[in-house]
Amino acid sequence: MAKTLQEKLDAKAEKEYYKKHKKSYKLTPGDIVFNILNYAFFTIFTLSCIFPFYYLFINTISSNDLVSKGLINFIPRGINFDNYISLLNADEVGQAFLISIGRTILGTALMVLASAFVGYLVTKQQMWHRKFWYRFLVITMYFNAGTIPWYLNMSMLGLTNNFMAYIIPGIVAPYNIILVKTYIESIPAELEESAFMDGASYFTIFKKIIWPLCMPILATIAIFGAVGHWNSYTDSLILMQNAPELYTLQHRLYLYLTTTTNLGALMNGGVSSSQAEAVMQTALNAKVIKYTISMVSVIPILLVYPFMQRYFVKGIMLGAVKG
Amino acid sequence: MEKNKTGKERIAGYIYYVARIGVLLSIVMMFFPGLNPAKICDFVNKTMSLFTSGISYGSLTEQCVRAFNQGWIQESSFIILFISSLITWIGIAITAVMGCMSIGNLKMKRLGNWFGIGGALVQMLGLGGIYLAYTQVAATTRPEKVMPNFPLQNWLFFFVIAVVVLVTTLVIQLMLPKPAEDAKYEMESKFKLFLMFLPFAALCFVFSYLPLYGWRYAFYDYQAGGTLSSENFVGFQWFTMLFQNEATRSDIVRVLRNTLVMSGLGIATSWLPMAFAIFLSEIKSQRMKRFVQTFATIPNFISWVLVYAIALAIFSSEGFISSLMVNSGAWEAGKNMLMGDSGHWFKMLAWGTWKGVGWSAIIYIAGIAGIDQQLYEAATVDGAGRFQKMWHITLPGLIPTYMVMLLMAVAGCLSNGMDQYMVFDNATNTNVNMVLDLYVYKLGIVNGAIPLSTMIGMVKSVVSVVLLFLANTISKLVRGESIV
Repeated sequence: MAKTLQEKLDAKAEKEYYKKHKKSYKLTPGDIVFNILNYAFFTIFTLSCIFPFYYLFINTISSNDLVSKGLINFIPRGINFDNYISLLNADEVGQAFLISIGRTILGTALMVLASAFVGYLVTKQQMWHRKFWYRFLVITMYFNAGTIPWYLNMSMLGLTNNFMAYIIPGIVAPYNIILVKTYIESIPAELEESAFMDGASYFTIFKKIIWPLCMPILATIAIFGAVGHWNSYTDSLILMQNAPELYTLQHRLYLYLTTTTNLGALMNGGVSSSQAEAVMQTALNAKVIKYTISMVSVIPILLVYPFMQRYFVKGIMLGAVKG
Repeated sequence: MEKNKTGKERIAGYIYYVARIGVLLSIVMMFFPGLNPAKICDFVNKTMSLFTSGISYGSLTEQCVRAFNQGWIQESSFIILFISSLITWIGIAITAVMGCMSIGNLKMKRLGNWFGIGGALVQMLGLGGIYLAYTQVAATTRPEKVMPNFPLQNWLFFFVIAVVVLVTTLVIQLMLPKPAEDAKYEMESKFKLFLMFLPFAALCFVFSYLPLYGWRYAFYDYQAGGTLSSENFVGFQWFTMLFQNEATRSDIVRVLRNTLVMSGLGIATSWLPMAFAIFLSEIKSQRMKRFVQTFATIPNFISWVLVYAIALAIFSSEGFISSLMVNSGAWEAGKNMLMGDSGHWFKMLAWGTWKGVGWSAIIYIAGIAGIDQQLYEAATVDGAGRFQKMWHITLPGLIPTYMVMLLMAVAGCLSNGMDQYMVFDNATNTNVNMVLDLYVYKLGIVNGAIPLSTMIGMVKSVVSVVLLFLANTISKLVRGESIV
């Protein structure tokens, strides 16, 4: 509805009033100090979030000689990508990379499909004992049996040393179901009702109406789900004890990192010089290897990061409205 | 629809309950290793259920390699066993189709009954195959090694259910009248919706509720690979051991101390994201704001393993700081700042804050955007300064959100998660680093003390739920709103 002339005039007068008052607001010395400190703090903090990645990156693309002397701190020198090429040719890492990619894509796709469908079903009032079944799902967010019973359960189901252990337990995600349900409830019910009058089945309505309309929320849960899959390593650690070929990339990285820490501890503990030299040699090579694997496992996150950003607020705010 | 039911249909309805319960029982039981009818000799893994025996030939024959090589058992018997298990559970799955179709209309019921009859017959066939495999294995030349032992109870259990399902569906099929010629397959929409939901409910049950059944391990003297029986039932022995055994008790006290200190520090600094958001909103430059928001949230999206990789790259003896110091001549050799336990709690807090503060601030930033601008304008007119506005308008506007976060943090004070502490754990700091989740993992998975770690996890879960209820009650009393 167009604003009336009077309203426009009012708004204008109001604006000018505040403008005048703003002008009269002077920066006191205290304000200036505060501003400087404030900007300084946020600049430093933000740099602390960027610099480590930059540091890892320049060390992986610089000449390994300089890296081992600790000379690459701010500017890359002797740029080459040999580390990446040789690393991805290493069987262990390449395999782990594929496993991580596979579980991320498959696990996320199934989780999103299931969340969308279940989220739709639980909005249907006429479902048999809908309230009970909805609570049955939601209540699982607030308790868990503990790591060991979970592990015993997974091994009872044959889901140890089995790739499916990454996928199947994550399919039904109550929190995401709540998000989708809340979203569907905000869609006008008429859209669905008219299709129902035309004799469309639930499944057709879901496919043709609900699914396309839910795209924004599905994108949100897909992104968070994918990041979760990519980053998880405890399931790999606990469930894949006898299947190293199924380790995720993060698990591999963890193993590489901790093995070298142990070497470092050995050196501090005072060993003979020849031993220490040998340890030093492997430790230095290991340094570049560690950095490169770290970069390989963080690059996918950094690549999708710009696209994720606009879903942040949606994802975190919707969660606040449960019920 | 209800009114048109004849007496026979009503009786059939009751008989259906028997059939459905039978089907449900056999579905549930086929996942329990203790009830596996295919465990015909000692070489069959104790942790195999009927379902897994019929799905993974590799793990079924895991322990048989020697027996095959020595010729104690013919491999063909195990192939028969594998296929029979597969057929048995496929039969059970077919009877499940009957269970689902039995809530449809008359025409659908009648079709479903054929599935019931067929499925039960297939199931019997599979059970027969298992018996055949047993007779072959029992004919071994070395019974003292193979120990053939027919699990009669388990086998009978499944067989009796198959018979029950077969008989009931047959009877129902004979009782139900023929549907009209032009009838269609139909089902009431409430059941249709429920059936679509059922597979997901089953997944949820299997992965979230079924683990609770594992709590029984806490009451047995169980070793990995062993079984639970009345002989090794120990009641609350592990529970009392937590308090009576000197070594365990000191372990628990230490672990609890670390857990509560870490959670306490987290709770004490839980206002940081709120302060972060308030001070960020004081920055007037939009470009600067966006810059900070963009990059301060990155750490939240990387795993703890990568955080540790970064910690190594910056703070280890050959990392960024050491290189700088050594090359400038300030230090003689690099220092590894990740070793040792001095100030470890604060280091962990710092890493947690670095990773999470930018992300947690988002909810407060959204909260600030939702505060009525007129409040600020009115305050300005009244002569309020910048800090007064921050203190009297922004902060009170965020307090309700903060209270929810705080109560959730208090309720979750026993669960620090093991990721962070696992990666930073080393021999020099494990004394102050071991938190409850990590301890349970080390005790149960690494050391194999399954009953004790289950008991600890169980107590932790119960206490956590109680805390959550308390937090919720407090929230209801104080704010009139629940948090869960």
